[in-house]
Amino acid sequence: MTGRNRLRSLLTIAYWNGVLPMKRMPLFLLNTIASPLSFLFFIVVVSHGALLLYGVAGGIVLTMLSIGTSVQTDLSHYKSDLKLHDLVVASPVEAPIYVAGLALSEFLFAIPGISLFIVIWALSGNPISLSSALLVVLALILVWAFASALGFTLATYFEDIRETFVFSPLLSLALTVLPPIYYPASFLPSWLRPFAYLSPATYAVDLVHQAMGLTNFNGIPEPYLLPAWADILALVAFAAAFFVIAAKKARWREP
Amino acid sequence: MDAVNTHGLGRTYDSGKDGTRALDGVSLKIPAGSVYGLIGRNGAGKTTFLRIIGTQLMPTDGSAEVLGFDVVREPRPIRERIAVIPQESRPLYFLTVEELVDLHLRQRGMARAEAKERTRKVLADLDLTRLSHKIVNRLSGGMRRRAMVAMVLASDAEFLLLDEPTTGLDPLARREVWAAIRQASRDHRTVLLTTHYLDEAEALSHRLALLDNGKLIVEGTPNEIRARVRWPFRVTVPLTIPEEELRSYGEVSAFAGGHLVFTREAQARSLTELALKRNLPVSMAPVSLEDVFLQLVGRPLDEATPTEEAES
Ligand SMILES: Nc1ncnc2c1ncn2[C@@H]1O[C@H](COP(=O)(O)OP(=O)(O)OP(=O)(O)O)[C@@H](O)[C@H]1O
Ligand SMILES: [Mg+2]
Repeated sequence: MTGRNRLRSLLTIAYWNGVLPMKRMPLFLLNTIASPLSFLFFIVVVSHGALLLYGVAGGIVLTMLSIGTSVQTDLSHYKSDLKLHDLVVASPVEAPIYVAGLALSEFLFAIPGISLFIVIWALSGNPISLSSALLVVLALILVWAFASALGFTLATYFEDIRETFVFSPLLSLALTVLPPIYYPASFLPSWLRPFAYLSPATYAVDLVHQAMGLTNFNGIPEPYLLPAWADILALVAFAAAFFVIAAKKARWREP
Repeated sequence: MDAVNTHGLGRTYDSGKDGTRALDGVSLKIPAGSVYGLIGRNGAGKTTFLRIIGTQLMPTDGSAEVLGFDVVREPRPIRERIAVIPQESRPLYFLTVEELVDLHLRQRGMARAEAKERTRKVLADLDLTRLSHKIVNRLSGGMRRRAMVAMVLASDAEFLLLDEPTTGLDPLARREVWAAIRQASRDHRTVLLTTHYLDEAEALSHRLALLDNGKLIVEGTPNEIRARVRWPFRVTVPLTIPEEELRSYGEVSAFAGGHLVFTREAQARSLTELALKRNLPVSMAPVSLEDVFLQLVGRPLDEATPTEEAES
């Protein structure tokens, strides 16, 4: 395919997997907002409102991370329920285009949720500057890239969609429960902190905290884990590593 | 030019200790522009062969060239030129039939105007126009299958791989698909298809290959294949002629209304005369492809394969 055809292909996939379902099944959108929003509600209630912005930061990151699961379940659905994986493999559509198209469609689904969190952030009275907005967008894109590559690689290994149901919760446990997504990093017992560094969510959340200027919690100074550039570097490294893994290990053609 | 050229192509599925030998040393050529039928019992290896040729599955031994490119080393240029319908695949259920075809073409990189025109044409050819705005989910199973056939036929691929494209289609719909496949061949496209309908295989295919247990049993035009079996004629007589008497003519089997005897031409004639002399109804005909199929793969495995005897 030429570059122009690739773009056409990518946008077509995003259209049928994102735009059309949104138009035909708008309830799907509620679904993507529901779980980060209910986490936020929980966090705010338990902390008597003190963790509102931490909850917003966590919601943004979690929404993007969950795109990985969505890409994976989309792929598994098309592969094992509709048996359409083979149809795509044996066509001019290359793996990166297919995944990018699906990932883009999931990004579209995430937009309402992200917007909602940003509105809450704006309404909370904390200033949003251009640079902080850019940092958040950067964090979003990097998490999105990482999660999509991970979702794709995993999906190509699954034979049956039920394996996805078993594996996904384990994965999100590792990716999202250990990292201090919804609360300050200092809340985490120190012996657990090294584990948190294993998840890209940790760096993404740290970056979003810095963008939002969350420097203290209830008057207690809350240091960032790493400088912003180091967070960005870590996220780029994760995304790049999983792109390489996807390119080398994903089973596009059955071995 | 050959669209496909395989040498000792094989595939072993590695499932734990004992792997399944799904394809075993298959060497064959598929002439470009022909319709090539692949037949064989369930589990014979048809899908495995198709998936290797379609670059969806790696072979474990042997080699295959598709449109002049090696399936293992050069999948890219092959994928640019093929379109497939996987066995048991189902179309995206939330699209309309028209969107399904149109978006498939654009996903393959086709420009909007061309995709629109090709979509219109294929829907007309396959008698789907009146369903074009229906959501796929609301179609019957056979209509869905036809929609998949439409997707692939509308593409600009020069080689189409169709794994049981007509399973579940009514007799008229099947004939519409046949017409479209023949048209594809007239347009110099190559079609490789599998089917369990032997009348279809015979009506459509320029050449056929019969696989059994992963091995190529026989290959050629339908007539060549018919000529290669031990018993090229079939005679049916009533049950009143006892089986013992019939055995001297050839191979006897009973069916609901009488005895079926597979035999050679001379014996077929004399058996027909015998029946007529006794005033019994009789029919004699060259074997159908289905008979050939039963003769070649419908016997216990420990017996010698009839083709070997036919050759000696
Ligand atoms: N993914 C797989 N893993 C292990 N064994 C497999 C796999 N796919 C197919 N097989 C085995 O390979 C053999 C050939 O299967 P294949 O699907 O090619 O048959 P087929 O001729 O297409 O049959 P059918 O007419 O039922 O579609 C069978 O014994 C089957 O059990
Ligand atoms: Mg099959």
